[in-house]
Amino acid sequence: MNNYFVLDSLNLLFLIALVVVTVCVMFYQGFNYCKNAKENLKYYSIFFLFFLSMVGAILCNHLGLTWVFIEATTLTSAYLIMLHKSKNSLEATWKYVFLCSIGISLAFVGIILLLIGSGSVNSLFYDDLYAHASAINPFWLKLSFIFILIGFGTKAGFAPVHSWLPDAHAEAPSPVSAMLSATLLNSAVLVILRLVKLMSLAGLGHTVQVLMLAMGLLSIFITAVYVYRIKNYKRMLAYSSVENMGIISVGIALGSLGTIGALIHVLCHSLIKSSLFLTSGNILHLYNTKEVEEVKDIVSKNKCTSWLWLLGAMLILAIPPSPLFLSEFLIIKQFLLNGQIVLCMIMLLLLTFIIYGIMNTVLKMNYSTHNNNGTEPVKLPIRNYIPQIFLIVTAIVLGIYMPNGLFELIKNAGEMIW
Amino acid sequence: MINFLIVIFGISMLYMATSSRIAAQTNMLRLQGIVLCIITIFAHINELDTTSIWSALTSLFTHVDALVGAAFLIVETFVVKALIIPNVLDKVAEKNNIKRDNNPQFPNFYTLVISTIILFAGFMIASSQVDILQNISSLYFGVSVSTIITAFVFIAIKKKLLTHVIGFAMLENGIFLLSLSVAKEMPLIVNLGVLLDVFVAVFILGLLIGEIGSIYGNPDVTQLCNLKDSEMAKDE
Repeated sequence: MNNYFVLDSLNLLFLIALVVVTVCVMFYQGFNYCKNAKENLKYYSIFFLFFLSMVGAILCNHLGLTWVFIEATTLTSAYLIMLHKSKNSLEATWKYVFLCSIGISLAFVGIILLLIGSGSVNSLFYDDLYAHASAINPFWLKLSFIFILIGFGTKAGFAPVHSWLPDAHAEAPSPVSAMLSATLLNSAVLVILRLVKLMSLAGLGHTVQVLMLAMGLLSIFITAVYVYRIKNYKRMLAYSSVENMGIISVGIALGSLGTIGALIHVLCHSLIKSSLFLTSGNILHLYNTKEVEEVKDIVSKNKCTSWLWLLGAMLILAIPPSPLFLSEFLIIKQFLLNGQIVLCMIMLLLLTFIIYGIMNTVLKMNYSTHNNNGTEPVKLPIRNYIPQIFLIVTAIVLGIYMPNGLFELIKNAGEMIW
Repeated sequence: MINFLIVIFGISMLYMATSSRIAAQTNMLRLQGIVLCIITIFAHINELDTTSIWSALTSLFTHVDALVGAAFLIVETFVVKALIIPNVLDKVAEKNNIKRDNNPQFPNFYTLVISTIILFAGFMIASSQVDILQNISSLYFGVSVSTIITAFVFIAIKKKLLTHVIGFAMLENGIFLLSLSVAKEMPLIVNLGVLLDVFVAVFILGLLIGEIGSIYGNPDVTQLCNLKDSEMAKDE
């Protein structure tokens, strides 16, 4: 009899990212986020249900049950996104719940197709599937992988099925956006990684590589196109999430060093992106608008926020000493080792566009001045800085010195994928 | 008997696709829920040893655990699919005063033609690939796959938010039928979780229709286009 929940190197990594980010987000929002006690009770209970459903999805050892947990994350986070009940947040919630539910239904079709193809295996525990991988009919396995990749890819924010992501991330309250971007996307990626292992055991690794490389590069391309037109800084961060998910997908597709790079990317993207979303909450509080045009001269309004904003942006764009530099370096090295130089050049070019687009916006917000001289400095409570400082310092430390234990963990996790 | 039920399921799908009255569509969802429930019962009866009444009874007692699980699943299928979801949708329709969803650019006749072609294609694929399908009846496979595809068409051509949710429920019914066609079963806990998730999803979407309706007046997808990249919408 198998256990429904297990802990191994791979999901331990995802669990660490989830717990660290959640603790920081809780520190940021405190226990008094809503206006009155009743709303607070509702908000925090749903927040913890959201957290629990992600823990369930990460630890689960059974494909069917994982599906249930992933769908539960959609349903629990719906309330969190529409917390303010404005016109826009309702629209974003509608798109989020509807698109994700449809996408996840497709993933369930994929699971059923896998059951059809698995013949005598008759189990959806990952261990059983891995043990009998060669007995599964390759036709059905390929078909089901495509369905599952599209289905869970919708949740993970891979292009071309990412369209809910910018809306939901931009309209949710900032702590919730941080949770969505840094943890929710990861938990869907984990399921795809489990299936990648099954495909590689069944000797269908090539299909996985083609599909995930295409989706990853498309995600980066979409971000590079949209990042210039963006007028809302939270949407910019959301598109950056699409880009980073694309990089992770490319890394997984490349295998060996690329996989290790992708796993480092998963962990460190969570740390940095959550800090950026929390900082964007500070900016929203200071200026009361999400439009880039109306945010000017953060540096004289609130020095600490402007530094966090700039540092976070530098780290997310993989400028050293960012750990993302390390991971992207590994991925590019694997690209060259595989001899796919043209694709590698395309990716680097797109990443350069993205660096220019995002840095341009961030610097404008930080340093361009109003016509009327002088901005009054505004103070924020200290708990609005500490989580971001902690996350950014952790990320920089990981970028300079990766502890042996963590690297061993990542290496073991990498071996669980290919 | 099961084949007869599946044919009824397919006809109800065609009727749903062509009708523009909300009441007719929710009634068809009810019918589909009942059909699915009966198919589940039959699927479980087949597991029992039915060579004689006596052996059936003894196998009942030897499989008490499985039986309790199956009974739970059957009841939940009936309650969720045939009672709660259509009733929730009816309530939402009544509250927001939605009776019909007419799309003048897309007459119902076209929908009928399209869904018939899809149904036909589903059968063609299922019957031409018998060797790949292994032990799955092609009737099951054809009807469920074409229901899933028709549900997507349904969602794409309808304009009201409510009809989108109805399309979603139809999609879930198609998937449930597909999962019944697999001779082996999901563990009970997964089936229950899936049903619970679908129910909550429909419930939340129903609530959202109410909220959106209270702001926009008439909940319609064409109005949900504030969030774009090109021009930032003002938050109210």
